[in-house]
Amino acid sequence: MRTIIKTFSIIFVVFALTSCHKLDLNYNPVQPVTVPSSQRLPAIQANLAYSLYSQARFASYHSYYVTTRAGNSNAQTDTWNYNNINRMGAWRWHFFDVGSNIAGPAGMFIRAKEDGDNNYIGVGKILLALSYLSATDVFGDMPLEQAYNGTFNPVYDTQDKIYEGVDKMLSEGIVELQNVSSSARSMNATADLIYAGNYSKWIALAEGVRARMKLHTANFTNNYQDLLTTVNKALNGFDDAVFKYPGKSDLTYEKNLWGPSRPNPEWQFADIRNDLETSLPTDVFMKALTVDAATGVYDPRLYKLTTPGANKKYLGAKMSEGLRDLGLPSGTVYQDFANLNNGYWTADSSAYPYMIKEELYFIKAEALYYLNDLDGAWKSYRDGIQANMVRLGVDDGQVVNFMGSTKVVQDPSKLTVSDIMMQKWVALYLQAESWVDMRRYNYSKIAYPDLYYPKFALAEWGGRYIQRFVYDPQTEYVYNPKEIERLGAKVRDWVFNKLWWAEKSTLGK
Amino acid sequence: MLNMRNTLLFSLALGLVVTSVEAKTSKVSNSSNLAAATAYSSNRLVQNTVTGTVSDANGPMPGVTVSVVGASGSVRTDANGQFKITAALGATLRFSSVGYVSQDVKVAGNTLNVILKEDDNALEEVVVTALGIERNKKNLTYSVQNVSGDDLRASNQGNILNALQGQVAGAQISSSGGSPGLPTEIILRGSSTLTGDNQPLMIVDGIRVNNSSSNGTVNRVADINPADIEDISILKGAAAAALYGIDAASGAIIITTKKGKAGVMQVAGTYKAFVETMGRLPRQQQIYTTGTGGTYDESSGSSWGRKFRYDETIYNNVERFFQTALTHDANVNINGGSENLQYYMSGGYRKAGSMVPNTHQDKINFLIKGTAKLSSKLSVTASANYVQNNIQEGLGGASEGGWINSILRFPLKYDILQYEKPNGEPWYAYVEEGKERDARISPMWGVMRNPRNNDVDRFIVNGSIDYKPLDWLTLNYRLGQDYTSSRYRTVTTPGTPGTYFNGRVTESNSNSRYLTSTFNATMQKKFWNDFNFSLILGANSDYYESRGPAYTGEVFLVPDIFSPNVIERNGILLTESLPRRQRYAVYGDFNVSYKNLVTLGVTGRNDWTSTLSPQHRQFYSPSYSGSFTYSELINPDQWYGKLRLSYAKVGKDAPIYKTNTNLKQVATVGGGFVVDATGGNPDLKPERTAEFEIGTELGFLNRRLNVDLTYYQRESIDMIMTPRVPTPSGFVIMTFNAGSLRNKGVEASVNAIPFKTQDFTWSTTVNAWKNTSKMLKFAGDIVRFPYTNAQLNAGKASSALDEHVLGISGTDYKRTEEGYMVIDANGYPEMDKVEKTIGNREPEFNIGWLNKFSYKGFDLSFMWDFRFGGDILNASRQGMMSTGIAYDIGQWRDKEFVFNGVVAQSDGSYIKNEKPVVLNYSYFANNYYQVGTNFVEKVNWARVRHITLNYSLPNSFATRLGVKRLGLELSAQNPFVITNYSGGDPEVNSAGPNAGGAGGASTMGVDNGAIPLPRSFSFGVNISL
Repeated sequence: MRTIIKTFSIIFVVFALTSCHKLDLNYNPVQPVTVPSSQRLPAIQANLAYSLYSQARFASYHSYYVTTRAGNSNAQTDTWNYNNINRMGAWRWHFFDVGSNIAGPAGMFIRAKEDGDNNYIGVGKILLALSYLSATDVFGDMPLEQAYNGTFNPVYDTQDKIYEGVDKMLSEGIVELQNVSSSARSMNATADLIYAGNYSKWIALAEGVRARMKLHTANFTNNYQDLLTTVNKALNGFDDAVFKYPGKSDLTYEKNLWGPSRPNPEWQFADIRNDLETSLPTDVFMKALTVDAATGVYDPRLYKLTTPGANKKYLGAKMSEGLRDLGLPSGTVYQDFANLNNGYWTADSSAYPYMIKEELYFIKAEALYYLNDLDGAWKSYRDGIQANMVRLGVDDGQVVNFMGSTKVVQDPSKLTVSDIMMQKWVALYLQAESWVDMRRYNYSKIAYPDLYYPKFALAEWGGRYIQRFVYDPQTEYVYNPKEIERLGAKVRDWVFNKLWWAEKSTLGK
Repeated sequence: MLNMRNTLLFSLALGLVVTSVEAKTSKVSNSSNLAAATAYSSNRLVQNTVTGTVSDANGPMPGVTVSVVGASGSVRTDANGQFKITAALGATLRFSSVGYVSQDVKVAGNTLNVILKEDDNALEEVVVTALGIERNKKNLTYSVQNVSGDDLRASNQGNILNALQGQVAGAQISSSGGSPGLPTEIILRGSSTLTGDNQPLMIVDGIRVNNSSSNGTVNRVADINPADIEDISILKGAAAAALYGIDAASGAIIITTKKGKAGVMQVAGTYKAFVETMGRLPRQQQIYTTGTGGTYDESSGSSWGRKFRYDETIYNNVERFFQTALTHDANVNINGGSENLQYYMSGGYRKAGSMVPNTHQDKINFLIKGTAKLSSKLSVTASANYVQNNIQEGLGGASEGGWINSILRFPLKYDILQYEKPNGEPWYAYVEEGKERDARISPMWGVMRNPRNNDVDRFIVNGSIDYKPLDWLTLNYRLGQDYTSSRYRTVTTPGTPGTYFNGRVTESNSNSRYLTSTFNATMQKKFWNDFNFSLILGANSDYYESRGPAYTGEVFLVPDIFSPNVIERNGILLTESLPRRQRYAVYGDFNVSYKNLVTLGVTGRNDWTSTLSPQHRQFYSPSYSGSFTYSELINPDQWYGKLRLSYAKVGKDAPIYKTNTNLKQVATVGGGFVVDATGGNPDLKPERTAEFEIGTELGFLNRRLNVDLTYYQRESIDMIMTPRVPTPSGFVIMTFNAGSLRNKGVEASVNAIPFKTQDFTWSTTVNAWKNTSKMLKFAGDIVRFPYTNAQLNAGKASSALDEHVLGISGTDYKRTEEGYMVIDANGYPEMDKVEKTIGNREPEFNIGWLNKFSYKGFDLSFMWDFRFGGDILNASRQGMMSTGIAYDIGQWRDKEFVFNGVVAQSDGSYIKNEKPVVLNYSYFANNYYQVGTNFVEKVNWARVRHITLNYSLPNSFATRLGVKRLGLELSAQNPFVITNYSGGDPEVNSAGPNAGGAGGASTMGVDNGAIPLPRSFSFGVNISL
């Protein structure tokens, strides 16, 4: 009995002591609340690559680069129906993974300001501007003024206001980088995976983003001269802004999202995983890259952007139809098409482009074209093609051959807008920016001679072309119904409503 | 020192009692030497032994408590009703047994035979209420329902929550599916929040226990061995549970385990064997083979191809997949003790198989419990319960459920059982050159090679000390800890198509503990003969902590060892978590009753919690209740009638660490830190629940017919949710006070003994209930709130303002005002974009009907379960439709059809549609399965939960075998279900309870690849020595 009592007493005392805790323990002792900006920037840059991909994942189909093999099988890409999706990942990638990490309630800016690291603020603003621009170009109106202020039902700013905001962010970013404080934390290659802390390259990129933005509106604001100034500024000292993945890695998070491993990083949504595996190059793409169909001569970039199919044939599939296309030779199998995997942009180790130099050449070509400087436009057009071939690793001899072929305009006076736009389209393979161009030109044959209306787009769209993404159904439609109602985004055909710059566009007519 | 003094006091007290007895019966005494006299007379008394037999109308009664009035200690009669106790001549012996009128008999010799009378007026029934306080049912002011351990065990369910099905009016219990590792959800009186845990607080022997179901694994209260349960009290309302304050918003379940009883040692054992087979399965079409759009295409995983040719084998894969499995369950318990020390020990072992291949459970339970009476004023009770529960599951689903979707959709041209080559490498059903990563493989590969394991070691210790310094005062201190060590592991074998083609292993470990420390002072006193006062003052501390590392490893260097040791160095991601929570509370309970007529009760509790910001962290929870036994006024002997009324308002705190934002390391090139997707909210306020309850209890015919009726109305205000939020806020998930909702309903419980003779008894219990919920208010502009983990294309589990809380949202066809479908010019129905409420997952009415018959040695019990209404979102069927394998596709595909609807004319009028159309792939893909109403079914069911037949062999026969009692049992669980549901078993809850984090709340009524409940049959033996 005595031992029992003794044991109990001891147990009780021990337990009573251990059961005493204070109430101030609602903080996670094993997670940080803040870290230096140099430990924030790499993930922001990685997330921006994911974010741009999340837009390109669908835009690549809407801009006719690729189509599903089965045809009439994917609601979004084949029938242009966005009504039954649960989530729109691109919304989150921009606002949270990129935006919130830069400017959110626990974003990099807070610590950067405290520490006086204005170089990180500068780079952050440029990245945020780039992210906002690409996001508004797929979504249209969205929160900017009231973003990150804690509200669940912010007012959506109109797209022209967002463009103003992007312009301002770029300017502010440039100012910060032109006046980097001597006490600011250094930015080296481990912190800045894009330019290794080279501020002048960041400034050039900022101008490049500004040029991209100005191009979208130049046609109706008649601002090509201004655009030209900007693009020249950008070209001066521009270096490709690409996010690089390691040459060899077995880890899913170290892979390009277009890669054949079909990686899905944390918080990736199933429907964003790339589907190149079961997609085919379109006939539009194949026509663009065919020099002479009869003799089987193709643009050498075809072999760089894609890899050969098992049957070494190069057929093109009709948009939304895939193998269902009755025009295909009978017995056609997917092996009769080029393999979309493991091309220059589609390998696990491919770099993901934020912005490449070719884009600036083509922006310049388009600006000069509309300024009626055909010689200048032609030169820039050729610069763009040449730069792209060199990037893709085409042999010098082949480059010379191709540059002299019928596929490239030889006489500046014969240069048309479709020459520029189609070559830009090839150069910006799988980038969402091509979808902007296509919508800017209203899917016009003037700029894109081989376009046609997809067979399996639903009849209820009435022959209209797709213009945008839906807002994230999981959150925006739930928390912000009034704003969604005001915008008119509740209808089944919301994605056929043109964005501001497409609505105002004078192009393609 | 204290111990010694107590022992001394104890023996002195005993001595004094004995002496006074002695003084009356004998003249031999020497008052000058008290100690000597004590020793002497004790010696004499020990030798005075009384033996005898206790019987009732049916014969000898085992287990009757025999005690000496005025002295401590008691013995119990053995299996033959015989007892042996030491008592002086002239002392009074008290014979008592539950359900019998106690009898006091004076000792007049060495033998004593007593016949006990049955107590038909079981008025003094005692129930366990909050904090383990036992209250006379007669004076209870709120609804409490009791389920006895025997009734629980008759259902033969491994998970005690499943065993409660149908036994409690107002408890909506739904299991996530028929696999031992899947959780079961219990909701009392409707859902109280839209995300997070809706479930009642679980208390075992006075301490809070873990009932989480992390990673969608079994809810942890399933670790408790049903064999050890004495009874379960269900405190349904806020008033009943108000003393628990925090967490009482959803009610409380108070589990009391068996304890030792003084008397001869009793040893009992049971063994049961179960055979489990598949229950009701969804149907598939067996007409069309693999392909898309009507043409054969081997590369497609869909079944939209041409018709099967006659020479092609069609595999009935769903049936082939499930198997028949065997489960063994053995339990032993020993119970006994002396007057001052009683013990109970039990051990259980369960080795369960499952109809799902490669799925099994190994469970060991060990419980030891002892009570020591140190003196007439002091007693201690201690218990230790060890549980090992290791479950392996072949079907490891996502957080959204979807357990058998891959099986339901697997094309029937492939044999599901062919999944590996003889050398163990994967056998791909379809693979393209160099693209093994995207190959198609039988889901059996994943089941056999990529199981998930959840291994739990759990140790629940509990100590309690009772000190009764005064007649009317009891002081109790209780300290308990529920310690759970859990390891959850998933494996992806290299060669498995998908993202983790090179293999992956994830493991999360947690060592969690709930530490509860409670002090109660109970004062009970009678005044002026007719007034009973009771006052309880108490304080409580409740600490929770869970610590553990987790890792994810990708790419195996050695393909057959699933350990981080063979993972490529930088492929390992290691994380640690450490949630903590501290709560303190002080409370009081004042109760006064006048005769047995009127009782009034007031309770108050103040809580302090660590999970809210300092300005919001304390709150007060009051309750007021009363009862009036009106039958006391008119013929109290003829019937019984009582009215109960109560109101309570209780508060609830927030989940852990939701008031501030952290950064977390990220797995990207370059690494570094990102904002945690779950943002902090320092402005969180406590959630409040206010509940009003009124009820009546009626008893007739000597209490052979009892009726309990309750109406309640409960409002949950400022409920705390942790859902996905708009990312422009800067976060993906956030905890906030999201709105208010209301539940109201009625509960009726009728139990009757319609027939009773000496040999035959029929008793029956009917529990019926109905709950109606309504969403009253949402934060901000929200009007419709879908749950993240149950959004299945056309339909979503959701709540909408001013509508049912457990709703289904989705789209419908366009309809005219009269309700006719609008058909477009092509002859197909037009879809409506507007999302609206298309279903209510809450049953309209539930009935559980338990019948028990006993005839001589036979006992038969069976439980009927009826459910009326309650919609199911049949996402399983939707998934099967999209891949063309659904049964209906076989019935309707490519058939000509004229939709019953109207066509709009240019002048705005409508004419009847007469245009025939072909129901082709495009129609199903772009029209049929995008419309939510096509997948909502209003479901009714009638099912038998269990039938159990017990036979106790005659005593004479048992004795010949050398045992006291020998019983045989035959039982069937879920033997049949009658339902109009088109899918598998209609009891579905895809994502289970508290699906956690951003997850939604209850997914009751969502069938997303749910594993249908099995049907099982068992045979059991039980023996008492």
